[in-house]
Amino acid sequence: MKLHSYNRKKAVFVCFCMILFSVFLMGRLVYLMICQAEHYSYLAEALHERERSIKAPRGKIYDRNGNILADNEAVCSISVIHSQITDEEQVISVLCEYLEKNEAEIRKKVEKNSVRETIATNVEKELADQIRELDIAGIKVDEDYKRYYPYGSLASKVLGFTGADNQGIVGIEVKYDSILAGTSGSIHTVTDAKGIEIADMAETRVEPVPGRNLVTSIDLNIQKYATQAALKVQEEKSANRVNIIIMNPQNGEIYAMVDVPEYDLNEPYQFNRDIDTTGLSEEEKMNLLNNMWRNFNINDTYEPGSTFKVVTSTAALETGAVSLQDTFFCPGYKIVEDRRIRCHKTTGHGSEDFLHALMNSCNPAFMEIGERVGAENMYATYKKLGLFEKTGVDLPGEANSIMHKLEDIGPVELATMSFGQSIQITPIQFITAAATVVNGGNKITPHIGIAVTDSNGDMVEKLSYPVSEQVISKETADTVRGMLESVVSEGSGSNAAIEGYRIGGKTATSEKLPRGTGKYISSFLGFAPADHPQVIALILIDEPVGVYYGGTIAAPVIRDIFSNILPYLGIEPEIAEDTQESE
Amino acid sequence: MNHTKHPNGEGAPEETMQRRPSLWYQGRYFDFPLAGIILFIVCIGLVMVYSTSAYRGQELYNDSGYFVKRQIVFALVATVIMFLLSKVDYRIYMRYAKSILLIAMALLVLVYIIGTASHGSARWLYIGPFGFQPSEFAKLALIIYTAAVCTRKSKSLNKPGSLAKIMLLPVIAIVLIAIENLSTAIICFAIVMLVTFVASPKTWHFVVLALIGVAGCALFIALAGYRADRLRIWLAPEKYPDGYQTMQSLYAIGSGGLFGKGLGNSMQKMGFIPESHNDMIFSVICEELGVFGAICIILLFIALIYRCTVIAINSADRFGGLLTVGVMVHIAVQVLINISVVTNTIPPTGVPLPFISYGGSSIVFILLEMGIALSVSRQIKPGR
Repeated sequence: MKLHSYNRKKAVFVCFCMILFSVFLMGRLVYLMICQAEHYSYLAEALHERERSIKAPRGKIYDRNGNILADNEAVCSISVIHSQITDEEQVISVLCEYLEKNEAEIRKKVEKNSVRETIATNVEKELADQIRELDIAGIKVDEDYKRYYPYGSLASKVLGFTGADNQGIVGIEVKYDSILAGTSGSIHTVTDAKGIEIADMAETRVEPVPGRNLVTSIDLNIQKYATQAALKVQEEKSANRVNIIIMNPQNGEIYAMVDVPEYDLNEPYQFNRDIDTTGLSEEEKMNLLNNMWRNFNINDTYEPGSTFKVVTSTAALETGAVSLQDTFFCPGYKIVEDRRIRCHKTTGHGSEDFLHALMNSCNPAFMEIGERVGAENMYATYKKLGLFEKTGVDLPGEANSIMHKLEDIGPVELATMSFGQSIQITPIQFITAAATVVNGGNKITPHIGIAVTDSNGDMVEKLSYPVSEQVISKETADTVRGMLESVVSEGSGSNAAIEGYRIGGKTATSEKLPRGTGKYISSFLGFAPADHPQVIALILIDEPVGVYYGGTIAAPVIRDIFSNILPYLGIEPEIAEDTQESE
Repeated sequence: MNHTKHPNGEGAPEETMQRRPSLWYQGRYFDFPLAGIILFIVCIGLVMVYSTSAYRGQELYNDSGYFVKRQIVFALVATVIMFLLSKVDYRIYMRYAKSILLIAMALLVLVYIIGTASHGSARWLYIGPFGFQPSEFAKLALIIYTAAVCTRKSKSLNKPGSLAKIMLLPVIAIVLIAIENLSTAIICFAIVMLVTFVASPKTWHFVVLALIGVAGCALFIALAGYRADRLRIWLAPEKYPDGYQTMQSLYAIGSGGLFGKGLGNSMQKMGFIPESHNDMIFSVICEELGVFGAICIILLFIALIYRCTVIAINSADRFGGLLTVGVMVHIAVQVLINISVVTNTIPPTGVPLPFISYGGSSIVFILLEMGIALSVSRQIKPGR
């Protein structure tokens, strides 16, 4: 039997259909492999690649003279890779033994079927090397960095510290985190379906970018000296806390910022005093720690007391409500509305001019001055001096002042405001306002960071801060500065005087709220040299025991600090020359 | 003249006697292009089996050549069988067509019973260390039977009633296969359908029959639970965990690009594609050889189908022609289903890629069929 022609035609037809379908499949392949190639190869690569990050070293923090305040220490992190473990029990026992950790916790992580589980970070290099040498399958030891603060607790409230991932938590560390952090690098390795790296595949490596360094305005020596002075007075007076800010009033660079008791930056989770934490919840412990880390200089407000008369004097002169020739009479009190507000000298200062009112720190005279200036003008000056706004200092969590509403100010409020009561400001706000007055009327921004450098130490960026020039007239500023010099040379701040230097300043003793508990904040504001101030300092002694007058206990601390740092800053005594000239 | 072709002198007198008692037939023609294409594809297959199985062989048997060595042995044995079969006069199959099909069906029943008893897979029969799939043998048996019955009872093809009668046995066989292996059943159905279609002078019967077949398949898929799952995976493989294999295949294909990653450089074969040397081998071909290599392979298959068709339409008789059509349909349908599955063009199902996928049973029966196609080519009278 031969084939019919229809058999042949149909065979060809079947063959043609098959070829047609094949061509369709070729088209489908072209679509998948060329048009969809990017999509699928991307997904495939994501499937094959394992990424391991390489931590970038965090930028260092320097003081103004190049001393390292925050450094990095080489440490290691230890992790387990589940798919590579051959002997689970061995891995668990080794990790328990070396890391001294809870076995249940480690077991949970080791037995978890994940790509990579971190067991411990910040492990000392020596210990990590021992574990590495054991060479147990599944345990990975990676190089890491840990923050290290060579001076321990020095400037702790300013610098702050970092967490387990080297991220800033408080202080400068968090404020400048984006500069200091750097960018992590990564190692991409290709793995098979089980996650085992394929040895002969080239790994791509993205190098980490080290964080940039921050140069601060802190002067290590001044900070150290101020801290010692603060600790000394804290101990002598059994004070709750002592705060010192030392700043350059011309540009706002902060040389030192002390808030004792400080805490150890290398062990930030240990309390800086004996606290019985038994029975405390985690939250309560955390609150205590947060309190310990607080920087009172910027995070909290206080009633400034008599030092605030600097501001009232400025307001009086700036608005022209009072002239230097005006005289006041102090009987030892002043009746405001139905109240009798006392002067600290209960027998009264008698008749005195404006300068002597300030030198005597006479409350009735300043109540009178405040009354003459009026609430609106008073607030106008506050505003010029920046007392209604945050100073913009480069530290996290700055607080703002607590002031009366303008419409709420009655005669009593106005009177108490005049000598620095019934309002609350932060120490940094006050020293900034005072700096504005003593530098000739330019409102500066207090700051810590002054420059950013790269990992080679080359300058990347010089940080600049806003300055408002002549917010008050130079005349007013110069007059108040002169008056403040008199306060130290002949008035209530005489304890701050240093032979050979022209020092200006103002004392304060403010009773803490609630009144009548016998708790005080003694403070002193000082600056030098009085004719062209290069340094301004504010000290607050919180709850001193015994003698609590600012002029008696706070002023000598500033004198002590100034007598050391003025020569250090290259400011030579000058009055000796004057006497020679006069001869 | 005959003497020059048969130097042993025995073939000459037998040939003149209508070749009836002869088992061996040299013929005047031999389709060398087809034989060349077959050997070429088999070699490519061996290279790809090595490429895809080296990783797994290393992992399982600590020998990267484990799978390819076995495959080479099978390929060599199968090639020898192919050339021997090409010399066998195919007309003798016609005589035993029914017996062959009955044996195949018996084996299908046997494997089902044994498989059920051992609670294992009901697809394999073991003779010593060698396992073989009765369904592979059933495909060959169906090709022979359909071709034989369509030649012998060509008159019946015109009448639907008689057609149904002669197709009873193949349908039972297909149902037996479908119990365990739907994709093979579909291939068998296509073979029986298309061979009958080519044999029959009618056309529209078959269009109706094809539509019924497709509808039946669709109904079966929709009703059988796990088939419906496959449909769901086909539509959105990325959404389901059991679409893993399909997604891995697409990843491999998609990352091939124009010229591929180069032979041996597939990433997906590193355990991502399960059994990548088996049904999914084409996706690794795409990854390593790119769209260029993949299309070359498809073109080789097209050439093979084309040569089969040429042999079929030039064959000395109807039986030879239909036999070759059956073989051609088998190869073509299996290649198309395999590539369609790998590219997620149809719902996933496990069909090996002829000549290339790893598996002794598969390559032996495929080459056996090619041997038959080559034996048909020997009967061609050149100059026709």
